[in-house]
Amino acid sequence: MDIVVCVKNVPFTQEADLDVDASGKDVRKDNLVYVINEWDNYAIEEAVRIKEERGGTVTAVTLGNEDDEEVLRRCLAMGADAAVRVDPGDLEPDAFVTAALLAAVVKTLPHDLVLTGVQADDLNQGIVGALMAERLDLPHAAVVNSLRLGDGKAEITIELEGGQDERARVTLPALLSIQTGINEPRYVSIMGIRKVRSKEIPVLGLGDLGLAAGEVGERANLLISLGFSQPPPGRAAEMIKGTPAEVAQKILDILKERGGVV
Amino acid sequence: VARVFVVVEHRQGAIRDATFELVTLARELHTKFGLEPSALVIGSGVRRFAETLSAYLPETIMVEGEMLADFRYETYAAVLRDIIEKETPLLTLCPQSAFGMELIPRLSVELSRPCATDCVRVEMDGPRLVVVRSVYNGKINSSVSFASSGGYLATVRCGSYAPAAESGSVGTIREYRCPSFGTPFKTEFRGYREAASGAIDITQAQFILSVGRGIKDAEHIPKAEAVAAKLGAVLACSRPVVDKKWLGKERQVGTSGRTVKPKVYLALGISGAFQHLAGVKGSGVFIAVNRDPKAPIFRAADYGVVEDLFKVMDALTERLGS
Repeated sequence: MDIVVCVKNVPFTQEADLDVDASGKDVRKDNLVYVINEWDNYAIEEAVRIKEERGGTVTAVTLGNEDDEEVLRRCLAMGADAAVRVDPGDLEPDAFVTAALLAAVVKTLPHDLVLTGVQADDLNQGIVGALMAERLDLPHAAVVNSLRLGDGKAEITIELEGGQDERARVTLPALLSIQTGINEPRYVSIMGIRKVRSKEIPVLGLGDLGLAAGEVGERANLLISLGFSQPPPGRAAEMIKGTPAEVAQKILDILKERGGVV
Repeated sequence: VARVFVVVEHRQGAIRDATFELVTLARELHTKFGLEPSALVIGSGVRRFAETLSAYLPETIMVEGEMLADFRYETYAAVLRDIIEKETPLLTLCPQSAFGMELIPRLSVELSRPCATDCVRVEMDGPRLVVVRSVYNGKINSSVSFASSGGYLATVRCGSYAPAAESGSVGTIREYRCPSFGTPFKTEFRGYREAASGAIDITQAQFILSVGRGIKDAEHIPKAEAVAAKLGAVLACSRPVVDKKWLGKERQVGTSGRTVKPKVYLALGISGAFQHLAGVKGSGVFIAVNRDPKAPIFRAADYGVVEDLFKVMDALTERLGS
């Protein structure tokens, strides 16, 4: 079973203060820490588990600059056999161009299964997997939360809403977009990453993929970013200030007055 | 006249709520920008759905076929491709659900029409379609437009528009013939699986103490359990806690877990992803504790505390002890 996993390095924004940058079309990223996209972490784990059980190869692919190579090192440390980086140069590819580039790389690699995360934690479009599947002419399922391989088929469940899943059977080769929680990703130690530091990671430029200039150039983008802004405050919460003891007392008061509980 | 189509999502004999939210959006695009709205109903035995939709929108296009009983990309895409190519709507809308996420992006490539996913707003700026998307954990809004095309597709985040009421008039129903499909299919629908119901039913709770990513580690769960017990609250959680297997799926609040309506919802260390917030809509008092002052949960809660959740839990324990 040969598996290709598409992964992305994303800024960690959970507890970060985000500012719109000078271009007005992105956030300032110089002070942000980058991590493997959470969904992709589950995808690479799933691929490595399959390899450990059934043999075969796992190749991690990313689209990114030199700094993004660390996400591939991490995948190698988790058990991927090889990694490929596509360097976009100065281009800022949208989801459509990203999918075209990644699909072009996947085409050059043996693949019974292509995995990617459901979405990326930055722009959460949840679109690249499906677009790649269309380009590769593979069956696709979005939001896969369990995966079992049979003879030339994959038995999967697809997460719907309200705790309901759909059961489906997909003919391989297939592209599956992996949901968080499908497994428990292994811990990656600094030692583990050190061990794979000297492993060579081929870098492909946009010209190396056999795509027509119109498919990858600046004008190939179908989505045009008009600008970023802070969202409206909504119905902003009344903020409770004070020491933890004061806060706790205020919470208990609210529970008594408003909730009729406690 | 430019038109907007709403792809009706249904499952197991019922139209999904998200469809009626898209009806609201389609009507808004009619009122503000003159787009003519139609519903698209695809399925097997779905005439009653078409009749339902005709009470909401002036036109419903229906395609019935035995092969369309359950959603499958290959069949639904073939039907939609045919209709969109013939009717050339300016915009085709679908919910951002597993259904929409599978259908719309691929269809967009097949039809050479750009699509935007997970939009929270759809508007027009003159002749140009503009969507707003919520990015970077809900902390930034992104306005996006498209390369020029004869038509566009978009999926819309559930809960972005209020569900529509009936229009008071009856629309027309137009039928399209179901095409014949080349088999065999590469995907096979095998059935539905309901969430395993555990010993606890959080939907019945009057007071919920819910923990999120901020709880940091499985070893802190007993502490949260103890505080919940002291307060007389039922312990629940957000998705990351279930993903990490620290608590069972039956305790998950949100679109992929349970929808709850307690008198009090006390959220500790939950950032407030929209999927989570959608699961607590209609709760009584909503109190949120989070270290991040910019966490989206403070845009939804009644009361907010910017503080380390462990300090608040300790202080609550101390107060309740005396």
